[in-house]
Amino acid sequence: MTEKDFIVKLNNLRSTAPDEAWLKSNRELLLNQISNSGAANLSVWKTFVINFSSLAKASVRPAYALGAFVFILVMGSLFGNQVFSNVKPNDSLYIARIISEKAKLNTVLNSDSHDKLAAQFATQRAQDISAVLADPKFNTDQNQTQVASLSASFNQEINTAKTQLDHITPVPSAPADVAVSIADNAKDNQGMQVAANPLGQTVSYATVSEATSSKGSDKTATSSATSTPAKTNSADDTTVILDQAQKLFDQKNYNQALDKLKEADQLINNAN
Amino acid sequence: MAANPIRKFKDKQTLSKLRSHDKEAFIKVYDDHVAEIYRFVYFKIGNKEEANDLTSIIFLKTWNHIQNNSLVDAKTLRALLYKVARTSIIDYYRETGNKLSVTDSLDDENNRIEVVDEALNSEEKIDREADLELIKSKLPLLKEEYREVIIMKFINDLSLDEIAEISGKNKGNVRVLLHRALSALKALVEGDGKL
Repeated sequence: MTEKDFIVKLNNLRSTAPDEAWLKSNRELLLNQISNSGAANLSVWKTFVINFSSLAKASVRPAYALGAFVFILVMGSLFGNQVFSNVKPNDSLYIARIISEKAKLNTVLNSDSHDKLAAQFATQRAQDISAVLADPKFNTDQNQTQVASLSASFNQEINTAKTQLDHITPVPSAPADVAVSIADNAKDNQGMQVAANPLGQTVSYATVSEATSSKGSDKTATSSATSTPAKTNSADDTTVILDQAQKLFDQKNYNQALDKLKEADQLINNAN
Repeated sequence: MAANPIRKFKDKQTLSKLRSHDKEAFIKVYDDHVAEIYRFVYFKIGNKEEANDLTSIIFLKTWNHIQNNSLVDAKTLRALLYKVARTSIIDYYRETGNKLSVTDSLDDENNRIEVVDEALNSEEKIDREADLELIKSKLPLLKEEYREVIIMKFINDLSLDEIAEISGKNKGNVRVLLHRALSALKALVEGDGKL
């Protein structure tokens, strides 16, 4: 007989029960005895108070646990990336840094700010990888596996940063009046006049472009007025710098790559 | 143990009502637990009449205990009932001066287990009753603590946490004790060559 069968047979002893008659008579007997010691039926109000306080006592621990969980989640999302920002890619807590950065990213709702922050995090991680690989104590023959892994991570981070920069929506940072002024200067050279907007509103690029192209002679004005916004230029510049950093990294010029990445980080940081 | 919040709430509610001298709460506790407390006592002392008396005393003592104490010594009502049952049985042993012996009456004619299961045919019923009688006859041969954990776990279906709290041991010790107790009982029963 197996142990399981034996346990089933033991479980069957549950059928042992006192006599029904004794149960009833003993119930009455006990009820009489406790009634003599002051037992009574509770009032509705007393029952309500007991139910309410029991509910509060039973739920206080789960409520604390839930509160603590939410608190840790919120604090982790808001400040976790600061706590782990100094963790290097060869540290065991590096995964915590990545998670905290992702948590921080999830708290940013604006898509441009999100992309900018993602690019910044990727660039910073790439910087840290370069710094680690630039360290001769780490970058040894014995650590070649880790070095190869970090190199792959570096390329991944650079690609992430470039992708995020591409996502940033180009917003014209050069106001229309600047464009008008450029067009105005160009037309002044040809004895033409650009009328001021009677409503005092900004002039659109299309208006300026039409004004310039209708004459069909002012190539300078057209190119100035329809020029790419400054932010796009900034993103392009950053992408170029990231490409340069990648090339330097591939050539194992880690320190120079690091300088380039710092430059890119600065550009991303300064971008509005 | 009151692991789930609903059970925890009900336990707190019942204890609060008992402390407020609520008759209905006492009756509910009696109806819910009398059978298992009776079984615990009966399989420990082996006498039906005395098990009846002791069960009655245990409920009364529990009522008095709740009125006079803050219940810091037991986390749940069920555990409290078992604790009171254990001390009452010890008192009973002291008063009568004997423990359950092999010759005592767990398996006498008056205490035959009545198994009511309509699905079983008469032959199966006879087999099953014979098995139960055999196990019952071997239970008194076990050490006191072995018998106690077997009753609590396999007959009354208490959790390891509850047994640990009642017996004042940790869960690991209870698990080991259960394993040894089960092996010992199985060896006794199989030694008889009937199961």
